[in-house]
Amino acid sequence: MSILSTDLLSKNFDTPAGSVHAVRNISLDIQQGECLAIVGESGSGKTTLANMVLGILAPSAGEIYFDGELLPSKRSKVQRKAIQLVQQNPLSSLNPKRSVGASVRLGLDTYNMGARSNRWSVVEHALESVGLPSEMRHRAPSTLSGGQRQRISIARALACEPKLLVLDEPTSALDVLVQARVLRLLNELRKERALSYLFITHDLAVVRNVADRVAVCQAGEIVELGDTEQIFTAPEAAYTRSLISAVPVVDNDEMALRNKLASRE
Amino acid sequence: MRTLRILARNPLSVVGLVLVLLIIFAAVFAQYIVPYPTHNGSVIDFAFANKPPSARNWFGTDLVGRDIFSRIIYAYQISLTLGVVVLAVATPIGTIIGLLAGYVGGWVENVLMRLVDIFLSIPPLVLAIAMMGVLEPTLTNAMLAVTVVWWPWYARLVYSIARAEREEGYVLAAEVIGASAVHISFREILPNCLPAIITKMTLDMGFVIIIASSLSFLGLGVQPPTPDLGSMVAEGARYLPDSWWLSVFPGLAILVAVFGFNLLGDGLREILSVDK
Amino acid sequence: MSALLDIKDLKLGFNTLAGYVDVLKGINVSIKPGEKVALVGESGSGKSVTARIILGLLQEHRDALVSGDVQFNGQNINTLSPKDRASLRGKDISMIFQDPTSSLNPVFTIKKQFLEVLSRGDEKLSRKSRVDRATQLLGTVSITDPKRVLNSYPFQLSGGMNQRVMIAMALANHPKLLLADEPGTALDVSVQAQTLSLMRDLVTQNNTAVLFISHNLGVVREFADRIYVIYKGNIVEDGPTHCIFNNAQHPYTRALLAAVPRITGTGLPDVPEVSDEFLAPYVGHMQVS
Repeated sequence: MSILSTDLLSKNFDTPAGSVHAVRNISLDIQQGECLAIVGESGSGKTTLANMVLGILAPSAGEIYFDGELLPSKRSKVQRKAIQLVQQNPLSSLNPKRSVGASVRLGLDTYNMGARSNRWSVVEHALESVGLPSEMRHRAPSTLSGGQRQRISIARALACEPKLLVLDEPTSALDVLVQARVLRLLNELRKERALSYLFITHDLAVVRNVADRVAVCQAGEIVELGDTEQIFTAPEAAYTRSLISAVPVVDNDEMALRNKLASRE
Repeated sequence: MRTLRILARNPLSVVGLVLVLLIIFAAVFAQYIVPYPTHNGSVIDFAFANKPPSARNWFGTDLVGRDIFSRIIYAYQISLTLGVVVLAVATPIGTIIGLLAGYVGGWVENVLMRLVDIFLSIPPLVLAIAMMGVLEPTLTNAMLAVTVVWWPWYARLVYSIARAEREEGYVLAAEVIGASAVHISFREILPNCLPAIITKMTLDMGFVIIIASSLSFLGLGVQPPTPDLGSMVAEGARYLPDSWWLSVFPGLAILVAVFGFNLLGDGLREILSVDK
Repeated sequence: MSALLDIKDLKLGFNTLAGYVDVLKGINVSIKPGEKVALVGESGSGKSVTARIILGLLQEHRDALVSGDVQFNGQNINTLSPKDRASLRGKDISMIFQDPTSSLNPVFTIKKQFLEVLSRGDEKLSRKSRVDRATQLLGTVSITDPKRVLNSYPFQLSGGMNQRVMIAMALANHPKLLLADEPGTALDVSVQAQTLSLMRDLVTQNNTAVLFISHNLGVVREFADRIYVIYKGNIVEDGPTHCIFNNAQHPYTRALLAAVPRITGTGLPDVPEVSDEFLAPYVGHMQVS
């Protein structure tokens, strides 16, 4: 069953130089428990698409369905709660003047989840579930590393008990070792909690290891959509091939795959 | 510990802190520390009138024989009260208006900020003088006049910070979670404006003292016999240069207070901005 | 061949509000003329401050304590006068940054900035010949309409275009050493790949030595002749690029290599973010020269 689907979704921005089509007629769907990656470079419209799914940007045309229901332009509390976000920049996504715990607790207070007296222990549990010590709730974000902050962002989103997580370049600001751990965490959480992911990224190597299906976007349109395996072994679009061959590789198997794709040009 | 280290790097702000603490201490305990506690009112002692500084009267005496040092300490009491009251009223008004305009945006922003612009376009002293021309020249009215010219500066300051913070990821995060505009303005954005607000308040204590003194210098502020630095300078200026102590010491007193608050404000700016 | 840059036992510490912090704990790096060397490490490993020391920017910092030798072209940068250090920058040593658009000044045209760089190299050059030289240099970075680019402001150009301009400017005065700090990380992958290969060709032609600083081993694989891996202020392993990729010995290097996600989809390895093993002693591979 599909958890989210978009039907001919479009977004235009009016600029002094005329109307810009940031997203054009995008139709896609995410199955329950699936990770769908949206891959594209800057200007591909991937972040605009994410913002429409999150309800912070109104589509110019088209519809978004969630859990079988059409999402209205003014969403209900239940509908907002069900779709949460993890942002790219761990430096700005946490309020520097509030404790980690206060940030994670925000969703619990907003949606009045559980008994008030019990919420700090829910926060502590949420921190533990992303691999952080519960005492960390007293800390200020400035005392934490990028990886720890990103885990807190994940805990904050999960505290709302969402069904769909929008992950907007969640690891691209992190070091490789930290990235590997955070991606493993995201994979585990998805299985444990039957979550669905909309994974926005420019990094195809990451996509290969986390996504079930991939939508490749260019200039606001989907140029290719398919199973991850198929996209990487037999990409149809020239743009997809060029993206794959631009990924820096470290081992010979990867070189071989790249050369194989290059020979198909 | 960290605060101490920063203070140690900025010896001038320590000077400011000491000056401010001394002034506050003197103002609060004025009755107990001044040599002539009754000289804050209309005491007349012609035997000692208009005397230069001496061991008996450190800063000399005024035209009716009152001890200038005692009157300066009492004047500090008035100035500080005025400063604290003005800022205690002007800061919350300006902050709330600035936050609303900065975070909510749209027509709210337009209406509020144009209002602020109107106030800012009139020179503060001119507006205060105009108000005092209509109102009775009392301490309360002086505070009212200075407050009216003061809040727009806080609105402007908080507005510009809130505008910038609105673009930060944590505001987006709170919006996606579905937090209310009140929560986002007051619980998320306001804490990030506080360092700048506190710094500005410290600096402004000095400026409020100047404005209030200017008003009373022009005869529009606190009225005799209540001691006020501005009116003491004004009165004494007529007897320059012969009876120089009449105006020079109150003038220096204004200078020291403004200087102290400014140095402290600069130090605070550094301390409070460190974790940014 | 004697080294162009020879860093010996370089130490750096900062006096911070929280006390003294050790950033570099005695590193050794040497680069021969024309050699392309990469310095790879995570954020906070000390790789970027190394570049700033070579540029002579930290020696004058009031809270920084620098010790050790940084021999460049026969002179010790650490003991040079501030004026002499400044005269090396932009002439014998130049630098390319992570985000090309923000490292160009937004209020001046490319032309104004380019001509200024050229006059650092040769003050006597006439304006006309500097414009000609700038036009010609933009040609070398495959910019087909140099006139338009020269008359543009940085924000009017794409990130990739600005990056090429930066490369052309950095190489304009024939520096002996080019420092590249995460060049192009702010750019799209395909643009990054193109500009890196362009940069590689140019420095090879000009025989410019390069110190390429990156957090990603994959990015330096096709660029560097030799790699230094830095972890928490120590060089943990160095050697020719093929040795590092095919025969990494140090646990940290191996973890870094394992953690890079593969386009072949081999999964995400269970490597720790920190480990005592990463503190294992330095491993040096034999130099084949």
